[in-house]
Amino acid sequence: MTPPPVEESLVRFENVSRFYGEVLGVNRVTLAIPPGITSLVGPNGSGKTTLMNLMTGLIRPTRGSVRILGVTPEDPEKLFALVGYSTQFDAFPKGLSGFQFIYSFLRLFGWPREKCERLSWRAIGRVRLNDAAHRKIAGYSKGMRQRIKLAQAIAHDPRVLVLDEPLNGLDPLVRAETIALFRELAAEGRHVIVSSHVLHEVDLISDQVILLSNGYVVAEGKIQGLRSEICDHPMQILIRCNRPAALAARVFELDSIVEARLHADGGGLLVKTRDAGRFYRLLNHIALDGIDIESVAPADDNVNSVYEYLIGGEEPGK
Amino acid sequence: MIAKYWAQMRAVVRLEMKKTFLSRRGLWVYLLAFAPVLMFAGHDLSMMRTREERRAIAAAHPVPAGALLSIQPGMTREEVIARLGEPNVDSRQIRFGGGRIRREFLSYTDGQSRYVFGFADGELQSISVREEETFAQDRLIFATVFQFFFLRLAIFFGCVGIFTNLFRGELIDKSLHYYLLAPIRREVLLAGKYAAGLIAAVAIFTASAALQLWLLSLPYESSLSGHEISAYLGVAALACLGYGSVFLAAGLFFRNPLLPAAGVLIWESANLFLPSALKKISVIYYLQSLCPVVASPHREINPVLALLISSTEPASTILAVAGLFAVTAVVLVFASRRARRLEINYGAD
Repeated sequence: MTPPPVEESLVRFENVSRFYGEVLGVNRVTLAIPPGITSLVGPNGSGKTTLMNLMTGLIRPTRGSVRILGVTPEDPEKLFALVGYSTQFDAFPKGLSGFQFIYSFLRLFGWPREKCERLSWRAIGRVRLNDAAHRKIAGYSKGMRQRIKLAQAIAHDPRVLVLDEPLNGLDPLVRAETIALFRELAAEGRHVIVSSHVLHEVDLISDQVILLSNGYVVAEGKIQGLRSEICDHPMQILIRCNRPAALAARVFELDSIVEARLHADGGGLLVKTRDAGRFYRLLNHIALDGIDIESVAPADDNVNSVYEYLIGGEEPGK
Repeated sequence: MIAKYWAQMRAVVRLEMKKTFLSRRGLWVYLLAFAPVLMFAGHDLSMMRTREERRAIAAAHPVPAGALLSIQPGMTREEVIARLGEPNVDSRQIRFGGGRIRREFLSYTDGQSRYVFGFADGELQSISVREEETFAQDRLIFATVFQFFFLRLAIFFGCVGIFTNLFRGELIDKSLHYYLLAPIRREVLLAGKYAAGLIAAVAIFTASAALQLWLLSLPYESSLSGHEISAYLGVAALACLGYGSVFLAAGLFFRNPLLPAAGVLIWESANLFLPSALKKISVIYYLQSLCPVVASPHREINPVLALLISSTEPASTILAVAGLFAVTAVVLVFASRRARRLEINYGAD
């Protein structure tokens, strides 16, 4: 098979701006995203979801143009044969089981029943939800809902996968499995575009990073250039578990832990670490040692400080 | 390509069907649709019970033939009882008026009608005959209920509930994006959703109309002609078609579709009083033109308002059906243009 021309293997933004009335979504964004794992990183309101919605035609640019592998988002028939999007919205059509959800939306492609069934089971298998496939989504945990959304996004085998905060709400083991799946998909030559408001999180998985702040792209490039600087900046993580005090005793096995304190409600532990990667690996062991970990979520609301740190406090070019 | 669009439309219909038929939000649609069924069922039960009672009484205590018709005002109580015997319906009532007048009412039945003779101080003053209801009367009552409740309110608001939710309901639930992220033309999506709504609305409202028609004929030996039955069912289906398109579009154009629904309701209700040319710019004008029995609201209306009613020749069947299809097509074209420009911004919605 002949590889697509370079132009058609990129996700391109040409001087794209989007305003919501008088509120800025993104401004003058020009990007060319190659295959591999690309992370859009920025604090809440920085424009990550706006960029993703622009890529998938859920919103239109006020100015400029977007092309996904040469296809405009105005042409959904071609676009969504290429693109799968797992949004941040934690909502599902009512009354459907996991399998019905994926199968029903695959039928919208106009494919026969057998093909849709086969693709549905394959996608469900990839996110390891086979056992829960026939249960109603309304009864799923947050992590299961994230995974079924991911399965729906990958079910039709898209070349471009757009994932908005896909690791939110996943426990450490599933998080590791999901990251492995992203790597697998990227290794197959696909675009995997992931958003996160936590730089440390995507550091582990990205080939390239696009940093956003207040609707502007403030930095983009290979992750290696940013990694050492990121590592110096401590990150705060909230772990919800049944025995936070016992967990606190365990986390100090790592010298990269800066601080650990019990959450005010007594049901969790706030940890500040300089090496999130090592900390997540340690959590995997702890989870196997009998502490019941309910959820792990970055609690660093001060992502802006990371930006100031990275870009020297410089105001994005307005 | 057409085969693919059909397959996609069927997939949309399948997804929507459960929602349109079984949504908890839509329970009131069933209540609205089947309220006339309950009313006609109640009417039938009451009528059949009364009829059976009268026949049983007449069989047990027969009144001499023609005697009931020979009773005239001015006769005394004794003369009446001499001709008819003691009252055979257990409803003798005695009252005393303000002037200490002794009033008495004697009731008889010949098995069909009920005769109530009113006496004042022993002299017959009034004769009231309550005849058994006829099929012709009930047919007119059905026509009135159908045109002034079923079409104007039940189907109207039922379509508001079913069709506005097709898009607006999913925007509220934040689940519309799943459709917009599929490789399906927005026009096909709209057509699929409209078809699903139409199937549900037609099934619910024609089932209700069919039950009402069955109940209408149940106490009688006669029934409506096949032409009349199919006309009523067809009008119910066409009402769903026309109002459905209007409210599907309302769900796309307006954040709160109840406002345009109220506007359309006012316009459709004011139809009686509109000049002839304006009457024709409404769904109800064409629907009423297709109804087999003309139900006049004039008797129920204040005489002053009745003066304002303008009469217009009903549209011919072909024109009425074509007009409804044309209105539906135009509205759906506008709606599909809107759907094509639709963006997902749940925060703002």
